[in-house]
Amino acid sequence: MTRSGARHWLLHDVKNRGVTAWLLGGLFTAFYLALYFTDWLTLVARGIGLDNKWTLYGALYTLAVTAGGAYVIRKYRHNRYQVVRTLVVIFVQATFAFSIPHLLKFFQQPEYYFSYFWPLKMDYLTPSYIFSLPLPFVLYSFLGAVLLAPLLAVLFGKRWYCSWVCGCGGLANTFGEPWRHLSDRSSLAWRIEKVTIHTVLGVSLLLTALLFVSWGAGKSHPELARFTAGFQSFYALVVSSLLAGVVGVGLYPIGGTRIWCRFFCPMAALLGLVQKFGRYRIRVKENMCISCGLCSKYCEMGIDVRSYAQANQSFTRASCVGCGLCAEVCPRGVLRLENARAVDPQEAMLVQIQGAPAARPLI
Amino acid sequence: MHYVIIGNGVAGISAAFQIRQRERAARITVVSGESDYFFSRTALMYAYLDRMNLRDLEPYERTVYDRQRIERVRGWVRDLDAGRRAIRLDDGREIGYGRLLLAVGSVPHRLPWPGLESAREGVVHFVSLQDLAACERWTPSTRRAVVVGGGLIGVELVECLVHHGVEVDFLVRESWYWPMALAREEGDLIAEHLRGHGVRLHLDHEVESVVASAGGRIAAVRTSQGREFPCEMLGICIGVRPAVDWLAAVRTPPALGRGIRVDSSFRTSLPDVWAAGDCAEFPLPDGGAKVEQIWYAAKRQGELAGRAMLGDRVAYQPPLFYNSAKFFDVEYTTVGEVTRLPGDAVSFFHRFPGRAASLRLIEQDGRVTGFNMLGSRWDHTWFERWIHERRSMDEVMEHLHLAQFDVEFGRVRLDEARAAYRAFRGAARRQERA
Ligand SMILES: Cc1cc2nc3c(=O)[nH]c(=O)nc-3n(C[C@H](O)[C@H](O)[C@H](O)COP(=O)(O)OP(=O)(O)OC[C@H]3O[C@@H](n4cnc5c(N)ncnc54)[C@H](O)[C@@H]3O)c2cc1C
Ligand code: SF4
Repeated sequence: MTRSGARHWLLHDVKNRGVTAWLLGGLFTAFYLALYFTDWLTLVARGIGLDNKWTLYGALYTLAVTAGGAYVIRKYRHNRYQVVRTLVVIFVQATFAFSIPHLLKFFQQPEYYFSYFWPLKMDYLTPSYIFSLPLPFVLYSFLGAVLLAPLLAVLFGKRWYCSWVCGCGGLANTFGEPWRHLSDRSSLAWRIEKVTIHTVLGVSLLLTALLFVSWGAGKSHPELARFTAGFQSFYALVVSSLLAGVVGVGLYPIGGTRIWCRFFCPMAALLGLVQKFGRYRIRVKENMCISCGLCSKYCEMGIDVRSYAQANQSFTRASCVGCGLCAEVCPRGVLRLENARAVDPQEAMLVQIQGAPAARPLI
Repeated sequence: MHYVIIGNGVAGISAAFQIRQRERAARITVVSGESDYFFSRTALMYAYLDRMNLRDLEPYERTVYDRQRIERVRGWVRDLDAGRRAIRLDDGREIGYGRLLLAVGSVPHRLPWPGLESAREGVVHFVSLQDLAACERWTPSTRRAVVVGGGLIGVELVECLVHHGVEVDFLVRESWYWPMALAREEGDLIAEHLRGHGVRLHLDHEVESVVASAGGRIAAVRTSQGREFPCEMLGICIGVRPAVDWLAAVRTPPALGRGIRVDSSFRTSLPDVWAAGDCAEFPLPDGGAKVEQIWYAAKRQGELAGRAMLGDRVAYQPPLFYNSAKFFDVEYTTVGEVTRLPGDAVSFFHRFPGRAASLRLIEQDGRVTGFNMLGSRWDHTWFERWIHERRSMDEVMEHLHLAQFDVEFGRVRLDEARAAYRAFRGAARRQERA
């Protein structure tokens, strides 16, 4: 039941797809459309002394992450995981995703974002662009995408990126906090998600392959070079602008905060596949779930966490970004995020205490 | 075979799924007067708190009932005729059964306080969806409420009312909060926490009578201490009892005690009629009887009763007791025996400094027998294991970290607790020598 009073009505309305939520969603969408397809914001940026609209956007984004982050830290101050994680998110946004690129530019270096990797940032494995950068940047781009990101996902799950480093996830988990419960939990949404996210991943892989081929052989095959360039701008328009920006953030108040991450992000898809074979899991305490459903309700990826918890099943879902909110809201402490080894350390300790035969492997 | 289940709570639904899993061809019908779909009674408070809507309380997608071919019938069952193998609903519909499960749950206790019958408005319980609707109906016109009964449901109702800006007087008969499950120190810790949230907790207060306004709305509650608490809402949360009253009046009543009497395979005294969940009463080896009124037991019993109805040999024994709860922000985990202990039991209590958290371990004859933990998270399966393995308290304290279940970076520190434990043992030993 909604609390009485105008303020509470407004809060409820804006968080639960009321009129104000639709208005706000419209506003966000309009903002992104203006950002990507017009130059109005450049005028605004110039007006306040910034060089272009992207600097303005970066500043607004950092502000939103910081203010939202402060709110989240206050709200979950009793939960160290949330506090530490949110501090890191704010820090990464303020440094790697905002000040450092600008500093680099100031020192006549390429404006490089160390917190982004291919395939989220397609440029960073686009040969014509990346090979124009100094060697350290080239190495970081390649090693980051093919080694560092997957390796960390094996060790800690994709959360190391999606919930600790990535700007999209960062915005969702700070500024987007009031709308996290709006994600669709139906099994239909899950089926759709599996198709769409892997489609985008496939397309991004194909595009990268084409970019390399046309970089190597484009001179002798001009049609291929033309086709690839067209494909590239199509991808930039549909995936990077429309899906990541307009749909991804514009629809926060209507569809929840992780529409982009869940249905479209190729990086999330890739790390999700790695995660399935890695050590990360959500551990479920046996026979303690009361099926209340708070965990499912507050899962921003629309995972029906309750269905696992009430069946006593520890689990790893490819889409889980490890934000840890299910464990936070669970009133019975049933859930815990962990990086399990093949043999659970606690089981191993048990062997020690009891001198019992070998513990069973857990995954 | 037609399996009919009365009650779509966790016991009834667990039985239905169990039967469907094993018998693809069976016909299964679930009847309930309360709701069309199984929902989590345990989450009623989250609907009241606006953290979830009613649909979110349903643990399964609605399509599952069609996919599993579980027929749902809405209505209150009024009659049971074991001779004709049929039940009758309040609207006259009759449903024949091959095998019948009674999973009818509990109803709230009520005491005949003078004045209660004239208070037609503003008096609520907090057990059913209809209770929730009543609470939501009266809340907006309530500035002050009285909640009676120092158990778990009472605290949940109090939390909801506080959330809605209602001033709450919380009346508890005992001299600390919930002595059934908590020792005095834990009771004090919770009392402190409740008061911190603005709840006016009154211990040693028993209701003597209630006062209604001329219009029939509750107006005040008078206690044995001679105090009067004005209010516009009264929440009665003094426990629940098996919902068996209606069964006494049917054509062929099953044997009833406090609940529906069953044997260890959930059979009632009637042929082809079983019972499980909150409403079932089991004989104990010592001649007593037991009713388990918690979610975990209802789920377990429902599954086993389903198997018993399929013809499996089932011998149910209530397992070691465990439970969990949350008092506002303080989480609670308990396993085994922690109150009503014999005089020679050893009880070690430690309160973590600077936070609303504590632990208590009980040892009897050199073996741990109980755990009571507040304010931090624990994996109760370790506690169960240590009790079954007859570990000493020394061993358990040494390995206690294994059972910690707090979030990453957030474990409570056990070094102080262990130091306190050594001091506690040292003092006991010195006393023995002296
Ligand atoms: C507010 C609240 C919070 C709780 N929290 C916890 C908790 O945190 N942990 C815990 O372990 N336990 C908790 N419990 C207890 C737990 O919910 C119950 O033990 C459990 O739901 C019992 O399940 P059941 O299937 O036996 O009965 P119920 O869930 O009570 O289901 C019985 C159903 O049968 C229906 N019925 C009864 N008679 C008839 C009839 N004649 N005709 C048709 N239908 C009928 C009822 O309307 C009801 O829908 C809580 C209870 C409440 C009220
Ligand atoms: S929040 Fe916890 S108790 Fe509630 S359904 Fe999820 S795991 Fe179960």
